[in-house]
Amino acid sequence: MTTTLTPTPVPTGTSTRRCGRLPSWGLSAVGALGLAAAGALPWLVNAYVISLAATALVMAVLAMSAQLLVGWAGLAPLGQAAYLVVGAYTAASIATATSLGPLQLLAATAAGAVAAAVTGLLAVRARGTTFLMVTFGLGELVHAAANQWAPGGSEGVHAPPVVALPGLPPMVRPGWVYLYVLACTLVIGVAVAILVRTRFALLLRGIAAHEPRVQAAGHHTGWMLLAAYTLAGGIAGAAGALAIAVTRYVSPADAAMGISALALAAALIGSGSMTGACAGAILLVAARDWASGLLGGHGPTLLGLAFLLLAYLPRHRLAGLTTRFPRRRT
Amino acid sequence: MGGLVTPYTITALDGVAYGLLLFTIAAGLTLIVGVAGVFSMAHGTLYLAGAYLAWHLADGGWTGLALALAAAVVVGVLGGAGLAAAVRPLTDRPLDQVLATLGIAYIAADQFSAVFGAEPRSVDPPRAVAGSISLGDYQYPIYRLLFIAIGLAVVAALFWLVERSRVGAVVRAVVADPGMAAATGLRIGIVRTSVLAGGGALAVTAGVLGAPVIGPAPGVDTTILVYSLIVCVVGGLGSIRGALLAALGVGQILTLGVAIVPGAAAFILAAAMLAVLTVRHRTALPGRPS
Repeated sequence: MTTTLTPTPVPTGTSTRRCGRLPSWGLSAVGALGLAAAGALPWLVNAYVISLAATALVMAVLAMSAQLLVGWAGLAPLGQAAYLVVGAYTAASIATATSLGPLQLLAATAAGAVAAAVTGLLAVRARGTTFLMVTFGLGELVHAAANQWAPGGSEGVHAPPVVALPGLPPMVRPGWVYLYVLACTLVIGVAVAILVRTRFALLLRGIAAHEPRVQAAGHHTGWMLLAAYTLAGGIAGAAGALAIAVTRYVSPADAAMGISALALAAALIGSGSMTGACAGAILLVAARDWASGLLGGHGPTLLGLAFLLLAYLPRHRLAGLTTRFPRRRT
Repeated sequence: MGGLVTPYTITALDGVAYGLLLFTIAAGLTLIVGVAGVFSMAHGTLYLAGAYLAWHLADGGWTGLALALAAAVVVGVLGGAGLAAAVRPLTDRPLDQVLATLGIAYIAADQFSAVFGAEPRSVDPPRAVAGSISLGDYQYPIYRLLFIAIGLAVVAALFWLVERSRVGAVVRAVVADPGMAAATGLRIGIVRTSVLAGGGALAVTAGVLGAPVIGPAPGVDTTILVYSLIVCVVGGLGSIRGALLAALGVGQILTLGVAIVPGAAAFILAAAMLAVLTVRHRTALPGRPS
């Protein structure tokens, strides 16, 4: 787990990098158990926890989008919520024509990707902390633009319940919505898992470790980072469509920094692994919504404490970040 | 004179006031980023603290304002020094510094809304300058003119401090080359802490003075943070001159721009950021020399 990036590309599909000590069957057993528990959740807990779990899944997808940039390309984004909101507004506008969920999901993914491709032209010029600040600025500008121009203004828009497959009734009960979101999250997760095992993802790690060397090998790193940013935007857009399925409502406030910061923190908790990012997102949503409910409010304080913990606790530095912020190598 | 006073020049005057307020806030941040290399996400929080301070202490007279200003300097220096202490263990870990200051900003914002409530508060300027005077056919608030005067004084003082005084020479030396500055015997740590404290004091003071213009409300901290970050990025990190030009430009975009093309201000800002980043490309935005 000392993550200095080795020049020889080791990860050929197995997760040797992360879980060297667990036997391989152990990992899949834990995964299967977790999946079974996630699937059985609607029969185990009350409606409030179910809706929280669905929100946590949406954030997990957004965290995967952030992780693609942090953990692979070595660029920490603080504006991923912008593409979530683009996706959510797209899904909400499509919902007037069709309430078919998968169609909304595809449209939102495409819209998020297009928005990321356009704004990414600006973002991928920057590196390190400047990238963080530029994406933060972009997120806030989308927030402002949504207030001005989006349908519904600052009030936001409502969307009708989503239909999972043609012929099925609209999903109103939280349990069904949760199961639909879980299924979509798994599909997105599989797609992301395939993506991060491609040669493209390896090259992204290469850019994070040493950009000039990848350039010298004949790759146009700027375009590759833009492609990564676009893909991340698409994933965030998909998260937006899922958010519409869960809350049936989107407002410009969803583009606020809080959501982006949560996604980034989740990705950092997951230090370089997609599963870790999802776990981090679920943990942070649990802290913000569930634990703060028990403590009588103060979700932001809990989240702030989580950020402070994350900053001060010694944790494994990511391969990308140690070189991208070139001060200390662990 | 009569030909000069049109709705647009009045709005442009508003823009100057707005720009000088942004400069007062962002000048501290640009020095903090340039000198200490810390992107303080809690900078807007300091402004908000000042604005709430003004709301709490304002009594419609000069004493309230003076008290608030004195308290602002103390709070700002303490806050800045506290931030410096908080990020000191995180030297050379910019992402963790961002996370830590973000965490502090979150906790502070939550405490603010717990103490002061979630509704926006309006702060009145001292009664003596609360009225308005007529400029041609238009009424213009006196406080805003006074604010422009104070802002210009702040600009002059900062320029003298940074570009003419010995203290400024030390600060600029650390911005340009921290290693060389340390080698010549400058105490980098003390310089960084004092710049954070000074920037904090500026931001809180700006909060007190700017409260009648941008009043305290939840979320104002983020807005201010975004604007000052844009000013820092557009003006070049660590440059007072750049910050002044950028702040005045952003001020005009946010007032005149909104008046001429309603709703497009956000996009003009984005376009300005894009243009600057494109022109300078990435070499000129190092955060700090590495």
